[in-house]
Amino acid sequence: MRWEHWWFTTPLRLRSILRGRRVEKEMDEELRFHLEHRIDEGVAHGLSAEEARAAAMRAMDGLEQRKEQMRDMRRIHWLTDFMDDTRYAVRGLRRTPAFAAMVVITLALGIGMTSSIFSIVDAMMFRPYPVPQASGVVTLVSTSQVSAFDDFSYREYLDIRDKTKSYAGVIATGDMVPVGFSANLRSTPRVKGGVLVSGNYFHVLGVDPRLGRAFREDEDRVPERDAVVVLGPAFWKDEFGSDPSILGKTIRLNGAEFTVIGVAPETFPGMEIFGHPDVYVPLAMARVFSTDRQKNFFEDRDDRELNVTARLKPGATLRDAQNELAVLAKNFEREYPKLNHARGAAVHTHFEMRTRPDDGNWKFAVIFVVLALAVLLVACTNVAGLLLSRAKSRTREIAVRLAIGAGRFRLVRLLLTESVVLASLGGALGIALGYGVITWFHTYQSVIFMTDMPVSIPFRMDMRVLLAGVAITGLSALLCGLAPALQSTRADLVSGLKSADVDVPGRKRLWARDVLVVAQVATSLMLLTAAFLMLRGFQQGVLEGTGFPTDHLLMTSFDPRLVQYNTAQTQQFYKLLAERVRKTGGVRSAALTQNIPLGKENFDGVAFVPDGFQMPRDRESFNSTMDTVDEGYFETLGIPILRGRGFRATDTADAPRVAVVNAPFAKHYWPGADAVGKHIRLDSHDGAPVEIIGVAQSIQYQAQGDKTIDFVYLPLAQHPVARMVLMARSSVDPLQLLSPVRDVVRSLNPNLPMLDTISYGDYYRNQAVEGPRIAVKLVGAMGAVGLLLAIAGLYGLVAYNVNRRTREIGIRMAIGAGQGDVLRMVMRQGLVLVGTGTVLGLLMGFAEEQLMNSMLFNAGGVDVVVYAVVVPSMFAVTMLAAYLPARRASRIEPTLALRYE
Amino acid sequence: MSKPNDLVQGTLDLLLLKILALEPLHGWAISLRLRAASGDVLHVSEGSLYPALHKLEQEGWITAEWKQTENNRRAKFYSLTRLGRKQLESEAANWQRLSSAITQVVQLSEA
Repeated sequence: MRWEHWWFTTPLRLRSILRGRRVEKEMDEELRFHLEHRIDEGVAHGLSAEEARAAAMRAMDGLEQRKEQMRDMRRIHWLTDFMDDTRYAVRGLRRTPAFAAMVVITLALGIGMTSSIFSIVDAMMFRPYPVPQASGVVTLVSTSQVSAFDDFSYREYLDIRDKTKSYAGVIATGDMVPVGFSANLRSTPRVKGGVLVSGNYFHVLGVDPRLGRAFREDEDRVPERDAVVVLGPAFWKDEFGSDPSILGKTIRLNGAEFTVIGVAPETFPGMEIFGHPDVYVPLAMARVFSTDRQKNFFEDRDDRELNVTARLKPGATLRDAQNELAVLAKNFEREYPKLNHARGAAVHTHFEMRTRPDDGNWKFAVIFVVLALAVLLVACTNVAGLLLSRAKSRTREIAVRLAIGAGRFRLVRLLLTESVVLASLGGALGIALGYGVITWFHTYQSVIFMTDMPVSIPFRMDMRVLLAGVAITGLSALLCGLAPALQSTRADLVSGLKSADVDVPGRKRLWARDVLVVAQVATSLMLLTAAFLMLRGFQQGVLEGTGFPTDHLLMTSFDPRLVQYNTAQTQQFYKLLAERVRKTGGVRSAALTQNIPLGKENFDGVAFVPDGFQMPRDRESFNSTMDTVDEGYFETLGIPILRGRGFRATDTADAPRVAVVNAPFAKHYWPGADAVGKHIRLDSHDGAPVEIIGVAQSIQYQAQGDKTIDFVYLPLAQHPVARMVLMARSSVDPLQLLSPVRDVVRSLNPNLPMLDTISYGDYYRNQAVEGPRIAVKLVGAMGAVGLLLAIAGLYGLVAYNVNRRTREIGIRMAIGAGQGDVLRMVMRQGLVLVGTGTVLGLLMGFAEEQLMNSMLFNAGGVDVVVYAVVVPSMFAVTMLAAYLPARRASRIEPTLALRYE
Repeated sequence: MSKPNDLVQGTLDLLLLKILALEPLHGWAISLRLRAASGDVLHVSEGSLYPALHKLEQEGWITAEWKQTENNRRAKFYSLTRLGRKQLESEAANWQRLSSAITQVVQLSEA
């Protein structure tokens, strides 16, 4: 019924809107037709033409009113009224271009800031998977006492896939890993991002290949039988120029041949936020990829490397799936008590996975959103203030309108339309600004990632962000327009008509503007505090220095698992690599390390028991962060050995086990004694004894400001690791070492790719200086905008008050008040507002510092310096904003002021 | 302001729908038909006729078409739509209920 109704009426409404003139003409013609007949009838009854016409008009009961009634029947008067209001608003704004420009720019800043930040939050938290019916896709995780988000092993995946009933399909994928790709045998391998997927991957996700076909389920059954690959859309475009004849051809991944069977569509860049796989390979080919070589991927139930994702059956609920999986996990624990001890499982939605508590990115995004909303709030309150003072100057006009019968609602609508017009302009400009900011984010692509892997900044101005921008615009129109509109239409008619400047003295009428200024001062103080806190946090790290020279240092990583080396081959490779690189011209020294300082990957942890140390009763071992390095490490990085010695080539696998610890470690466990010569036992008290042979000076390890953490170095020869970073200190520009090092690697194995090759100086600058600077810039910009708005708001308020009270001030001065008295009187108002705002802002600042500490810096405590800088300067600036109009007030000529009207 | 004189609110719609259900007519013809059909009992102001017709049209109950009259003039002819026929049925049923209820009340003997 409803639908049928719209079916008939929509064309009529459209016609009324679009063909308005025609409709009017037809109405006139219809009425004329009636009147003519009526007149003819009258004449036939013997009236004169004049009399007949008069009678006809009388019968009509007011022709123009009837026409107006008929127009109302068209049900589009809301639109025509709106257009009239808009026209009126535009005309009014064009008369006051400075005011309009100020409002539009203010709103644009707020809206632009908020919508660009929304693009970050959307990418981090809300954007659905790029698959059909994305809401049905859930993630299954293994849980233990240590982690609530573990992966599953291959065997566990098979059990889940075969024994659950809640899902239309269960898929498994590995993490995206570096893969050495070469189009043919002759070319040197380059690093691409590859991901292992179960055979049903594309099918279950509902993704149809753009070209060729997806995997068949049987291609994922027999290990190393079906060497087939599906290409990612960007990879296909960049590497093969979107050549469709690639189907059926072979490419080489990690030295093995794979047949291309399909290309994923552009709409499916992958399931991750940042990473977009270049190649998809069936799980059965896991051996060619760098899965953990110590374990048997296909058999070991505790080799947990797979992310398991599933699509719920229609009608199946998350709760059913939870329960079913919990039972299965219990069965696992019963069947494999040792491997699955205290191990459960859980099902999470997309949103739950994106906002998992152990991930920091989204928290960053949330902080930014809070800050951006604060800026928006400041912008809106400011605009509200401007509109309010404008509405005040229109009191008389509004009073006249009310007096001649305009409804209050109609007037509120008229005034709201004005703010809608302003907000639309501000919104358009703001969205353009947001687009600019997002583009600016993208210029930091290389700074943020600095890797060969196919990852990209996922923030973009898409339909969702655009819609959000429009919604924010509407919200701000309401936010900044409603209060002034309501307040100004409450005008007292009698006094409003009597005088142009009617403001009834009294607190009540101006509460809104007072609140606005207090809110502005508070929020901008909070923003500035945040910016300074971040700046200080990062600067502290930079000032502290890394603890070693970062220049003339080349680094490049290797993963010999990519070419199927076993542990012995890997060790041999690294030994030869280091030897040959050291002999290369331009190389002063070279080292191998598992992780670089301030790297993107976290250092491993190690459990140990120090000999001769009284263990607390509730602990069996201590934990420390650690790194595996070779004998050249301390010399190459330039880390001083404070006591004892560093590693030597003689610390081989057969030699007594040794370790180097950092100074805090030594002081921590052997205060006042020499740590050199002491022993620690790895893992537990009955583990192998390891002698401490040296104490190294602290450097910055994982993050800036962590020089005081405990740290242990173990020698590579005694603690083999597959993936290592080569660091070479050069006497020339480090990038000049690139090609000799590449020659060395090629001489050892032509198929082994060099990963993330870059000068450490560049890396450090981007990572420690440029990267954080983006965040500081962003928050600082928000704070600056906020402060600017607060100053403008306060200045406007005080100046307005001075104007309003000119006459009063004149009287005061005429009866003997001095300039100082007037200054004080006017300033007092500003002082109260700024004071209140400062107190509120401080409270918000403290709360925010707690939040930031808990999320980012872990510094704890209150940074007094920040407040000592921010609060007084903020206070000074805002008081200046109040002083300028106050001074003007104090110079009022009483004779002029009394005549002022 | 003039309401549909002497007419129970809303009954004008019913009358118009009923008249148009018989044949498509232009405004003038409808006003003549109204006068004739109801005698002088129901006095419908000509002024309220056109707004009422416009309302019915905008509701989608009747549809208009410009056609030639018998004496070769252009006039706007209204006719009932499918939606209008449904509306007529339900309004007629309503009217029946209402009038019979009122009749019953009026006929209550004063005991």
